[in-house]
Amino acid sequence: MKNRLVKIICFSVSSLATLLLLAIVAFMVKESWPVWHSLGVGAIVTGTDWHPMANPPQLGIGTMILSTLWSALGAIMLATPLGLGAAIFLAEFAPPWLARLIRPVLNILTGIPSVVYGFVGAAVLVKFFEVSFGMPSGESLFCASLILTVMVLPYIITNSEAALRAVPNQYRETALAVGVSKQYLTIKVLLPLAKKGLVGAIILAFGRAAGETMAVLMLAGNTLVLPTSWFSKGEPLSALIALELGTSVVGSAHYQALFAAGLVLLVFVTAINILLNVIRNGKRNVVSKR
Amino acid sequence: MKPRRWIDIIWLALFWAAGLSMLVILLGIIGYLTYRGGSVLSLEFITSSPSGMPLGVEGGVLPAIRGTLYLVLVAIITAALPGVITAVYLAEYAEESKFKTMINLTVQCMAGVPSVVTGLFGYAFFVMCLGFGISLLAGGLTLGIMIFPQIVVTARDALLSVDEKYRLVGETLGVSRWYMLVRVILPQAASAIVGGILLAMGYAAGATAPIMVTAAVISANSSGALLEPVMALPYHLYILFTQQISIENAYGTALLLVLLLLFINVITLWLRRGLR
Repeated sequence: MKNRLVKIICFSVSSLATLLLLAIVAFMVKESWPVWHSLGVGAIVTGTDWHPMANPPQLGIGTMILSTLWSALGAIMLATPLGLGAAIFLAEFAPPWLARLIRPVLNILTGIPSVVYGFVGAAVLVKFFEVSFGMPSGESLFCASLILTVMVLPYIITNSEAALRAVPNQYRETALAVGVSKQYLTIKVLLPLAKKGLVGAIILAFGRAAGETMAVLMLAGNTLVLPTSWFSKGEPLSALIALELGTSVVGSAHYQALFAAGLVLLVFVTAINILLNVIRNGKRNVVSKR
Repeated sequence: MKPRRWIDIIWLALFWAAGLSMLVILLGIIGYLTYRGGSVLSLEFITSSPSGMPLGVEGGVLPAIRGTLYLVLVAIITAALPGVITAVYLAEYAEESKFKTMINLTVQCMAGVPSVVTGLFGYAFFVMCLGFGISLLAGGLTLGIMIFPQIVVTARDALLSVDEKYRLVGETLGVSRWYMLVRVILPQAASAIVGGILLAMGYAAGATAPIMVTAAVISANSSGALLEPVMALPYHLYILFTQQISIENAYGTALLLVLLLLFINVITLWLRRGLR
């Protein structure tokens, strides 16, 4: 009897949790519905004019979407080689004591609040660019990418290491018995075998970088111009929301457009997560087929 | 030497450099913050309120510490129990079904929701729709939603890593599932679950985006009243820096946040070691 009761309680709490996510999505859709309806999805997503106070308001968030993609992709480009290198080091080459030292370091790096990363980046990196390149103001998408790189590295490393470790030992033994070096084995055999896991790690990191707020808010420069290069300023979606939500009038087109921006971000990151799930399940199937 | 040997040596050096760079990054951040903020961080800084004009130029961060503490408390009260229950359901009760897959996927997706979007939801729902206003309650609940999936995932993995033989033995002896769960499995997983909750608390303490619009203000007494706005450490740091109020105090606040986090991580590590 008690058993059944517990099961029912567990079941209902879990269902409520699932409903909560749906509620978040539903809320975002509900709050932003009027602008999607009146302006159309295409005009908002590809529009590059953001004048929410004008009459009629211009609510294109294309500039911000581009800034988000630019800073996140830049971070992934920088973090991937370094992250894979560190993952290979931890999985294959590091002496056990050193690996035991580095793993908690990764946990701590994930735990450092993003506002601290943003602060250190803004106080050190931006200063550095201003002083050594004589720029009038050092903020740029590149700066944001640099800090995002540090922030997503732990995710890439932990997940890639797990993927490398999941490769069965027989490959290592065979290769070493044939007489190839461990480096050759890692690059030519282990990396291709662990490919799906590694791609998953990088995609996860991309999602994290795209959703990150404080660091980009403090580093990207926050100007509403279409970014033309990695070194121009921009205002990613998350920064736009954080900056303007407090000043927008509830129920105005401005307010609704910010929810539209949030919805775009949410859909994008959730799509990445579902894609990740598909990749991981695909991997499981391959293993079981062997 | 053959070129092959040279290439191998270069690769090895690169791998070592990549691995060691993580240590350098962490030590660099902590070292730099200590260097710049160490002199500011004193007992007086922790136990006095911000003062001066504009507010924050002098004085300490006591109300911000208090506010962060209250926010984390509200968040953990709302998220911990439902989180652990959901984890128990996923690990112990749910049969392999579409429904279980869906909950797992939902939790994974929720963990990926950008914190600013959670803040947006909190603003629309708690602050506006339910009329809590910019308040401790609204911010705490928003943080609760943010850390909920983290707690589920760590607690679920902790339960799943309990040795399967306990469950088998329990079942053969005809012990009820509930009894097994409370007397055997939960105690086995307890330290890892508590560790997960602690990490979630650290995550909540450092989150800025969700509380910017739901709870935190530049100056407040942070008395702990549920429907009043509070100050919070991460938001205080953001304001100190972006409004150019006091860069020294900003370094002190940042160092304090990082130390808080280090402390939580050390405790979690210690708990996990105890498990082994």
